[in-house]
Amino acid sequence: MAHSELYAQIDRYAYINPLAKTSPVTKMLFALSALIISVSSPSPVVPIIVFAATTILLLRLAKIPVHFYLDMLAYPTVMLALSCLIIALFFGTGEPLTQIAFPWFMWTIFKSGIALSVATFLRVEGALSCLFFLVLTTSITDIFITLRRARVPKVLVEMALLIYRYIFVFIEVAEKMNTAQKLRLGHSGWMRRIRSLALLSGNLFIRTLEQGERTLTAMNARGYDGNIRVLEDQPPAKKTALAGIIIFDIMLVLAAYLTLNTGVL
Amino acid sequence: MLFRLENLSHQYSDGTLALDNVSLSFAKGERIAILGTNGSGKTTLLHHLNGILKPTAGKVYFEDKPLEYDSKSLLDLRRRVGFIFQDPNDQLFAPTVKQDVAFGPLNLGQPADQVKKLVDETLRLVGMAEYADKPPHFLSLGQKKRVALAGVLAMQPEVLIMDEPTSNLDPRAASEILHLLLHLNKEYGLTLILATHDVDMVPLFAKKLFILSKGKLVTEGSPKELFSNADLIRDVNLRSPRITHLFEVLKKENNLPVNSQLPLTISEARKEILRLLNLEDAAKDGGEGESHERS
Repeated sequence: MAHSELYAQIDRYAYINPLAKTSPVTKMLFALSALIISVSSPSPVVPIIVFAATTILLLRLAKIPVHFYLDMLAYPTVMLALSCLIIALFFGTGEPLTQIAFPWFMWTIFKSGIALSVATFLRVEGALSCLFFLVLTTSITDIFITLRRARVPKVLVEMALLIYRYIFVFIEVAEKMNTAQKLRLGHSGWMRRIRSLALLSGNLFIRTLEQGERTLTAMNARGYDGNIRVLEDQPPAKKTALAGIIIFDIMLVLAAYLTLNTGVL
Repeated sequence: MLFRLENLSHQYSDGTLALDNVSLSFAKGERIAILGTNGSGKTTLLHHLNGILKPTAGKVYFEDKPLEYDSKSLLDLRRRVGFIFQDPNDQLFAPTVKQDVAFGPLNLGQPADQVKKLVDETLRLVGMAEYADKPPHFLSLGQKKRVALAGVLAMQPEVLIMDEPTSNLDPRAASEILHLLLHLNKEYGLTLILATHDVDMVPLFAKKLFILSKGKLVTEGSPKELFSNADLIRDVNLRSPRITHLFEVLKKENNLPVNSQLPLTISEARKEILRLLNLEDAAKDGGEGESHERS
């Protein structure tokens, strides 16, 4: 699957999944609280629970196809696995697991390094599943409106809103330029590929400046006065759902305490 | 007069003289087309009508008052004079169709309930109601153009300015936009001004035509008057509508006794052919076929 298709598909699910019409406050509260607990948990059990819970919600309630979810997970998981391998091999102190003698130095792999590596892997996977839950069930409009209500500084929210919209415009432009370069053999050979990429990046940057100018003109033509106003028409958060999330979070924290000593850390 | 341009010139900061001493005027409720090649100054002229650009010389009058360029006057002007850009991506900035259409009315300070109703009605008018919650990047170009149109119509303007409203659209989408515009003009008395080089579309749309070339106003008049002067049209690097050209050739090369007033549209051509075949009665029965053309 091409990158741009993956992005567009994530966005599409956010608008059409069965959870799209539930309150964004509920979904964001669930995802963010589970993410924070998962990342800060000293026990490896909690991220596993979080990962399992969000995955079940995504596949069962939000009806996200399994293969698509796995596709999405695959990219960051590969990166993460590489990072965790480095941690396992080169980090840690205390009790050594094994030692390999080189003529010029002694390479030690520590037990604590392995433990740290596993814990990091699980925490990040738990956090990823929370973020995937958020982006696959909640449209960006809903996220922006909720952030604004939560008093996040307006300039940040409005910038994010514009950036978000024009990412898709520029992915399209970049893909077109890339194809045009390929058709004129701009990718034959390593040096030429680098040169083409540089030209594309430079050009794209200038395009963004021009696009910004034109968009501002168009916004001014519709009475823009420095404030982007949006229509707020979201369903209110259900009290039962909020209560459910709080109970779930308390259980996670309890699980973290109960499994503290059985953990790898 | 609704709009009057008086000796309008515009020189861009790079030195290009995009408009050179243009004077023209038109009335409320008219359907105006500004015709010219690429780079003839059409867009620059349009940008002066709602204060996006300020003339470097000359004046723009709206309802006989010169335009003021302070933010309050501009806001007032832009509420009444809507502008639709050539590339809808320039205009659609919001994450969903509904939010984009709501942007203008919300800027006018209308209450949320009223805006919601207005957004629904406008999207229905342009036939995009079912796409209200979709992000713009899911839409085709024709659909984006309709949403851009809705975004401006929702501000309930009296004048609608459009830069190449049918460019890059497939024939059906172009025809639908055109019929929508004609409907708005007839039903709500909306004044329409559009810039184009689509000469086949102009006779179907415009009552009055201004031809620009190299920043200068070359001539003005009805499509009938202007397109019957084939030499002038060629001089400014445009062409007559295809159907007009056909009759011109039939007249010149085959000495067919075509009426000196050459037909500009399919329905006019149909009447003329039937007349030439001595079937004038049939021509009368044909009636106004114009609204079904191009579809």
